[in-house]
Amino acid sequence: MFKQLRAGADGSAIASTAAGLGVLADEELMQLVYSGQAAAFEAVYDRHADAAFSLAYRMCGQRALAEDVVQEAFLSLWRSGARYDRGRGSVRTWVLGVVHNRAIDALRRRTVYDRGRVSEDGIEERLVAPERTDVEAARRDEAREVRDALRQLPDEQCRVIELAYFGGLTHVEIASMLDTPVGTVKGRMRLGLAKMRMALGDPAEVL
Amino acid sequence: MDTGETHMDGGHVDDEGCGGNAAPYVLGALTADEHEAFRVHLESCSVCREEVAALQLVASALPAAAPQLSAPPALKRRVMSSVLDDARRRESRAADVRASHDAADARGGADARVAARGGSGGRAGAWLRWRPNVAVATLAAAVIALAVVALTSGGGAGGTRVIPATIVFPRASASLSVSDGRAQLDVAGMPQSALGRVYEVWTKRSASASPQPTDALFTVSSAGDATVGVPGGVDDVREVMVTSEPLGGSRVPTLPALIVARVS
Repeated sequence: MFKQLRAGADGSAIASTAAGLGVLADEELMQLVYSGQAAAFEAVYDRHADAAFSLAYRMCGQRALAEDVVQEAFLSLWRSGARYDRGRGSVRTWVLGVVHNRAIDALRRRTVYDRGRVSEDGIEERLVAPERTDVEAARRDEAREVRDALRQLPDEQCRVIELAYFGGLTHVEIASMLDTPVGTVKGRMRLGLAKMRMALGDPAEVL
Repeated sequence: MDTGETHMDGGHVDDEGCGGNAAPYVLGALTADEHEAFRVHLESCSVCREEVAALQLVASALPAAAPQLSAPPALKRRVMSSVLDDARRRESRAADVRASHDAADARGGADARVAARGGSGGRAGAWLRWRPNVAVATLAAAVIALAVVALTSGGGAGGTRVIPATIVFPRASASLSVSDGRAQLDVAGMPQSALGRVYEVWTKRSASASPQPTDALFTVSSAGDATVGVPGGVDDVREVMVTSEPLGGSRVPTLPALIVARVS
């Protein structure tokens, strides 16, 4: 699907092959995406689609809905890629942020009681991403660190963070669900995140 | 907002919705209205901004806590199908615009001649409709003419010739300044080189010659700017090129050129 992107006035090829795109940093690829280069977009998709789908599936619990969320998120990235601001984080963080927001929108269109986190039987086993590169293996290790940091939190702090981030619930909904004051829910969120930050050191390096 | 109360206890909330909203904000747990109100509040509260920045680092790492799965191949086919459809539509629209401009240029010239001869009102009307395109074409021609004059007459101080370069990044620019047989490459808006890689300058002496490596390896500033001298003279150089290479540079280009400046 990779195509020549551009040629010089004398016909000399200018960075456009699949190999050329493969070594470009995400930020470099985004410059090409801005100008409508489908091949560059495909390279960005290939790098981050697994993480995007994993997050969407974790939040939605349904494969079809997760796919819709990821599709909406990437197409919004393609159609309004100029919104990416490198000063606010990596492309991966930005992509996952878009997926997160889209998933929240999808979840909030449903009623609170429809939002079961029950996954489809066996889908994890069928879709588990293989470790194809050293980078992916490193990311797998880092993901383990994040999961460990989350699990080590007191149950009530872990619960509110999971309900908020992965469940798409508002702090008011969580307070109602847990029959707990809103201020307490916010405090648990704050303390849980602060503890995770200490456990992870510099989480900016995790992703 | 400066009440003297710490934000670290998680219980600080005042009338502005300050402090306690930082955690739900980064977790996406505020309602749309609350989110927008807090976003506006952040613009004027440095304490909350710092707290959000610190907590956002953790929130950004949370996706890694989800079981990692492979995206279904069919999903990619659907996404890329839409993307390629978009790309084709854009290209089609661009081709239409180009054709329209070409027709405008041709008709504008002919109609201008007719108008000058006192031609029919219908033709003059057509000229008026195309006038914006003609104006653009005229302006472009003027700019090109000025550039040609500048280049052929020695342009800048000391007889410096400034050669615009072709660059692959749409929002970046590059130019080569040649003076007394020596050249300097200026780039702006270039992306940072990828991890473990550096930009390398090459010279090419003919269309069929292989690019020759130079000692000029460079990275760009946070703004994407760099100025780098091209080692050796460029009197017999046809092109100056830049590629992305592994740290330390390469003896032959490992990737296609990112920048090409035609010297002669």
